Amino acid sequence: MKKHDIKLSDNSYSFVLTIPATILTAIFIIVPIIQSLIMSFQKYGVKNIISGKPGTWNNLRNYIKLFEANQIPEAAYHTLWFVLFVIILQFIIGMALALVLNREFKGSRFIRSIMMTPWVVPTVISGLIWMWLFQPQYGFAKYFISIISFGNINDLAILNNPETALGGIAIAALWKQIPLTTLLLLAGLQNVPNSSLEAATIDGAGEVRKFVSIVLPYLSPVIKIAMSMSIIENFKQFPLFWTMTGGGPNGATTNFAILSYREAFVSMNLGSGAAVTTIWMLMMIIIVGIYQKSFKVQDMS
Amino acid sequence: MKKVIYVLLVLLSCTITLFASGQKEGNDSSKVVLKVANYALLESGYEQFWKDVETNFESKNPNIDIEWVSAPYGEIMNQVINMAGGGDKVDCIFSEIDWIPGFEDAGLAAPIEDILPQSFINDLYPDVMKAFEIDGSAYGVPLYISPYVLYYNKTLFEQAGLDPNTPPKTYDEMLMMAKKLSQLKDSNGNKVYAFGQTTASVPVSGSSVNAMIFNFGGTVLDDNGKLAVDNDGFKKAINMLKTLDDLSYNPQNAKLKDLRNLFALGQLAMYYDQSWGFNGVRTINPDAENFTASAAPLVGANGSGQSLLQSHCFILVDNGEQRKEALSKFVQYVISEDVLADYLSNLTPAYPAIKSMANLDSINNNPVLKGAAQSASNVKAQPFIPQLKDINLELCTLAQAVTVGDESVSTAIEKFKNRAQSKLSE
Amino acid sequence: MKRKKLKFIKIIILILIMLFLLFPIYWMLITSFKTNMEAYLYPPSFFPKNFVLDGFINLFTENNEFFVYYFNNFLVSFVSAIITCLVAIFAGYSIARFNTKWSKTFVAILLSSQMFPIISRMISLYSMMSKLGIINTRSGLILAIVAAQVPFCCLLLSSFFLNIPKEIEEAAKIDGASRNTILFKLLTPLVTPGILAVGIYAFLMTWDDYLHAATLIQSDNLRTLSVGISLRYLGELSYDWSLINSISVIGTLPMVLVFFFFQKYMVKGLVAGAVKG
Repeated sequence: MKKHDIKLSDNSYSFVLTIPATILTAIFIIVPIIQSLIMSFQKYGVKNIISGKPGTWNNLRNYIKLFEANQIPEAAYHTLWFVLFVIILQFIIGMALALVLNREFKGSRFIRSIMMTPWVVPTVISGLIWMWLFQPQYGFAKYFISIISFGNINDLAILNNPETALGGIAIAALWKQIPLTTLLLLAGLQNVPNSSLEAATIDGAGEVRKFVSIVLPYLSPVIKIAMSMSIIENFKQFPLFWTMTGGGPNGATTNFAILSYREAFVSMNLGSGAAVTTIWMLMMIIIVGIYQKSFKVQDMS
Repeated sequence: MKKVIYVLLVLLSCTITLFASGQKEGNDSSKVVLKVANYALLESGYEQFWKDVETNFESKNPNIDIEWVSAPYGEIMNQVINMAGGGDKVDCIFSEIDWIPGFEDAGLAAPIEDILPQSFINDLYPDVMKAFEIDGSAYGVPLYISPYVLYYNKTLFEQAGLDPNTPPKTYDEMLMMAKKLSQLKDSNGNKVYAFGQTTASVPVSGSSVNAMIFNFGGTVLDDNGKLAVDNDGFKKAINMLKTLDDLSYNPQNAKLKDLRNLFALGQLAMYYDQSWGFNGVRTINPDAENFTASAAPLVGANGSGQSLLQSHCFILVDNGEQRKEALSKFVQYVISEDVLADYLSNLTPAYPAIKSMANLDSINNNPVLKGAAQSASNVKAQPFIPQLKDINLELCTLAQAVTVGDESVSTAIEKFKNRAQSKLSE
Repeated sequence: MKRKKLKFIKIIILILIMLFLLFPIYWMLITSFKTNMEAYLYPPSFFPKNFVLDGFINLFTENNEFFVYYFNNFLVSFVSAIITCLVAIFAGYSIARFNTKWSKTFVAILLSSQMFPIISRMISLYSMMSKLGIINTRSGLILAIVAAQVPFCCLLLSSFFLNIPKEIEEAAKIDGASRNTILFKLLTPLVTPGILAVGIYAFLMTWDDYLHAATLIQSDNLRTLSVGISLRYLGELSYDWSLINSISVIGTLPMVLVFFFFQKYMVKGLVAGAVKG
């Protein structure tokens, strides 16, 4: 092989290897993000897109307007509520399932693989499936609830009620995301050394105690990653909201994604849409930052 | 190192050559390509009609090629605007009347007199054309028009002991009848909704709420496009929405297509729709023709039952002489008795917009539209402002606030004014 | 006694969660075999009374542009997955092995780009790509999608490179192997499971893409699946739930198959990536 290859310093070689990724990221992610940041301080509408003229500075009008109409606080509330609700339940249910599946039993392998099905259903399709289940007149959910409430609740229309609509979307999100969480937790559980568990059993520790003081610490790196993936995904969630409610009813499911899409692509006010995404990104960075800092991984190795 | 770069280069060129073929195939330069943006191509009820239009028009005009640009109803506007931003302007957009101000504001729509011959324009009803004007020029050519008509289910009327040939004329009459109708159950024991008015968060629902406000003699905007909602009619109409919801006559937060479904299944006794909405009812239940009848929009309080003019129209774009000429041919071809007569009598019940079609028996006596025949003349146009879509969406939010949101009418209206004002101030 | 109780609780938990996860799939399946009028029955029927294939027949005969979307989606996902893998091999190795100033910045860039919402990029992306002449082409769409996958995939693959003992590399160096030989002939085969994981992940994510294709593609014959489906679903005229469910079934099927075939790698890869972080 050619000699100069070897002479290439570590620095330049490692740099060259990152070039393709860097170019792609720069062109398709970084530059558009910067443009959108700039746009958020400008009056930028349809005319600008069509004529190609740059936007004009408008003294933070985009931001002021969004706060004045109380749109940002509402979107932030809906986004955070949704993220929190989904990750907490996802963790509890995923953990429960992982603990059950952790032991080998007849059919456990089979269950482990079919459990993953919802995860591979495309998001738009999962939105449709749940919309159909939640359909207010002839949906299955209405029937199911009326049976288990012994006929007391006969008109469940979860997506039509501003108080429950967000919960309805959260159920669809949970359905799609629980499998992956379970899978990751399961893998983490397999790393928990049996010897420690046995030792604890001999010491007379109960199941709960063993779980808290041995299993959880071993799992913490996996939990941290799984949760942060889930925070990011749910913070950005768009297709489920868009197909299932479009942000309604009465604005009850308007999260940042819907608000920015509506401002930018429905009202065709790109400046205002960009302002929403700017605040949205800032919040996300802050929250993920806090999460990373506060979640201490216990080192068991 | 060279190898790495080489691999990358090969890869890049491979993908580009492989998929560049996905770009537009090179067109014959002698042919004029007419780009027509049309969401209806994706609607099963209409697809065949437009495919036929393409084939027949092209065989008559061998030097013109129709190229469809399709996108779903909710996204076609973005599509056209994004394409124009990329330097690729369509020639013609099949659109709702409400979309005109948006396209005019974007600088895409051209006045129709710049493209169509005066002889053709003279054939359009002048009263109707008023509704398409911005500063004195019309920016859209209607294919056909309709008010929001009241569809009702004759069978359900009979079952409730009502005369299927006397539909309600006023909201008060409607409420009386609704009381009886809401007692009914369908054959599976399901609830029957008495009266449907769409309130979901889509612009067309907003325009339907707007039509209801007109029924009560109210206004949303004044002639100058300023917010004008401090009137009795507006308040009464919103109150009516609340009443309908409190009595659970109206399916909550429904889109027009939800109402069409329920109506087709016999679970909705009356509802407001654009006249062509019946096409949707029919695709669900082909038997719907036997029980469907129409009536003029209801009269509310001190209003005269005026409704909002709805229309499917072509918005035209100026793309230079050659394409303009082809476009003019296309528009005149579609808006003609030959093409539309059949469509209007069988597929999409609606009223023609050109005088030369006024005497078509099959349209005037369309059984589905008969009851609402007079209502097409009792319409009012909404002043065209660029933010019309936003105002319509805010109307939906208002309607949802007093129904599913359980807010009081006065607070909901205050909130609406606030948000609408902020949209209008841009 | 206590053990039995615990076991009982476990079984109940398992059944409840599995019902939650699988029932919607069952419901989609049976609805696709119902007529529309039966689908709208209430109370609903748990098994189609008239078992009809209308939805599917309709799909194959009348709405067969669906298969164009399908093919496009397959092509776009497949090519995106391959390009993503290549890019990730280069960058993943670089991150894992060289601890330079640049690679720290690079990782930070990757980590933060994962967080940017797609919507915020769409408009500028649109105008930029039309200037480059790659708007409304599959290649443009592929590049944009690859860019969106690259950050996560590079990080994921780097965790595999990290797992290879440095000694292997050093031994090869002493034998006089060039850097490229080391990377492509020696190390890449060793991270095959990781590459498969990245490839399948990229494939799945692209298959799921909605916003990119919705914005960057205008011609019907270039559209991909999710957008195509929502076109059908977004029909303003009426709902055809039986057809929608048939489409959902066919749209989901290949992913289920891909997953079951490659499950081993997928699971291993994702888990390894996640645990190492």
